[in-house]
Amino acid sequence: MSKYGRLPLNNTHHPGWLIIVWLMSAGVCAGDLELTNPRLQIHGFITQAYVKTTDNQFFGDSEDGSFDFRELGVNASYRFSPKLLASAQLLSRDAGEMYDGALTVDYAQIDYQFQMSEQNRTGLIAGRYKNPFGLYNETRDVAATRPGIFMPQAIYWDRVRNMVLSNDGLQLYTERTGDMHRFNLQLILGKTPIDENVEKTYIDPMLNASLEQDGFTYGGRLLYEWDGGRIRLALSNAILKLDAKTQLLPPGRVDLDYWVLSAQYNDGPWRLTAEYMEEPLDYRGFGGLLDAADTTVNGYYLQGDYRLREDWEIMLRYEESHYDKDHPDGTENSRMTGLPSRFFYSKLWTLGLLWEPTEQLMVRTEFSRINGTIFLSNLENPQPNATAKDWNLFSLLVSYSF
Amino acid sequence: MKAVYQLTVAALLLCLAVNGHAVELIANPNVPQESLSRSMVRSIFSMRMTSWPNGVPIRVFVLGDKEDLHSRFSKLILGVFPHQLRRAWNRQIFSGIGQAPERVESEREMLDRVSHTPGAIGYLSEEMINEQVRKIAVE
Repeated sequence: MSKYGRLPLNNTHHPGWLIIVWLMSAGVCAGDLELTNPRLQIHGFITQAYVKTTDNQFFGDSEDGSFDFRELGVNASYRFSPKLLASAQLLSRDAGEMYDGALTVDYAQIDYQFQMSEQNRTGLIAGRYKNPFGLYNETRDVAATRPGIFMPQAIYWDRVRNMVLSNDGLQLYTERTGDMHRFNLQLILGKTPIDENVEKTYIDPMLNASLEQDGFTYGGRLLYEWDGGRIRLALSNAILKLDAKTQLLPPGRVDLDYWVLSAQYNDGPWRLTAEYMEEPLDYRGFGGLLDAADTTVNGYYLQGDYRLREDWEIMLRYEESHYDKDHPDGTENSRMTGLPSRFFYSKLWTLGLLWEPTEQLMVRTEFSRINGTIFLSNLENPQPNATAKDWNLFSLLVSYSF
Repeated sequence: MKAVYQLTVAALLLCLAVNGHAVELIANPNVPQESLSRSMVRSIFSMRMTSWPNGVPIRVFVLGDKEDLHSRFSKLILGVFPHQLRRAWNRQIFSGIGQAPERVESEREMLDRVSHTPGAIGYLSEEMINEQVRKIAVE
């Protein structure tokens, strides 16, 4: 399904996860190798989730209970010198109808730090790298680092994750560290892999559009940390243009400009996080027929985590997404398109519990009450009128990483 | 929240007073530094700083997350909980921009590895430290 980074050997029935499990077992054996050569490191993760919804399809046939949410990754890194690091990760991700577990090259990069001192570091990354976007994009598929079983959909859409996931190109980064302050700036330039999930989201699936990127994706992130990360603030941006061809309309272009503001406060057992996203969509061409679709998508979430004791943490999150920031209840878009208003927004509360019995193993369980369906995939829910407005989501996740 | 944090720190200090084992930053004797700023210690243990000012690669050694000494080192010297430190490592390991520290199983092994590895840095409880490693002050 994903066109992106797909290896020819698993075109249909060779599940990517088998290859990753094989690489992982090789990686575990490589522990001895790491002892003899500390420059080489091998790490990986394996995650399996169970998803049950009262209505609607999310990560598989969730109304009947779905195990169709599985992530496996294995990576290797080699430090040639303090200035030069090469690394690559293979990822297999199974997510309902959205991703079929095909093996992808998640990143493959060379990082050269041409300037380093006690206070400053500046370097260049070349290859396929994960985009610095918001607080979590770079490791969004790694259960051990993300803030819940699912990424907050208000910022990190799963139905269009490839939009900002990674870039093939260059990244320039620079860092200034003071006694209490740390500034980190990363600038990106490259090609973004586009897949069917993106096509089905930005252009009505009935039009069967094919999208191709025009030019480069550019943008970056400015991150500020105070007192070793007690306060973290970030501003992220990614700009890209997509050329669209459909069977019915004249050709056109979709311009995207994606902004995220992030803030986090860490204090002992507490962590409070807030992120806000705005994404103006501009439809050009198409004989003027899609001009009315111009909109500014927005969303935000607030999350509190509290470490109860060494191994246990509770989490509470509220998130809201709107297709049109000026008409957040969706009625205006509903009137214009004939689609139900629930299609144009989501509001959800999530309560979660995390248990980390060892450094490697984590178990999460979460319950969400949801109003609206904006983050549901068109691939998983082809009939917008058949979805339910109010629905509940229960999920359980087990993840092992090394 | 501040009160909770202060209470946690106070409780930790009390534990220390009872146990009487202070945690000390140590390095291989070839490391020229006699003291490091707290922000530099944080840069080193969060694996962002990869070489000493003289160009020698830094090798970071840590105990397991659940070891009492590691927990005291994290909270008292770095000012973060062990799970927060692990997440910071994971963010780098799984995005390809950094490597993990080297893991040791005991204080005895920590002493052995740090004393035999040029550029090595780690930590030990005070009574474990001998002349094979250099004690480093945190400013």
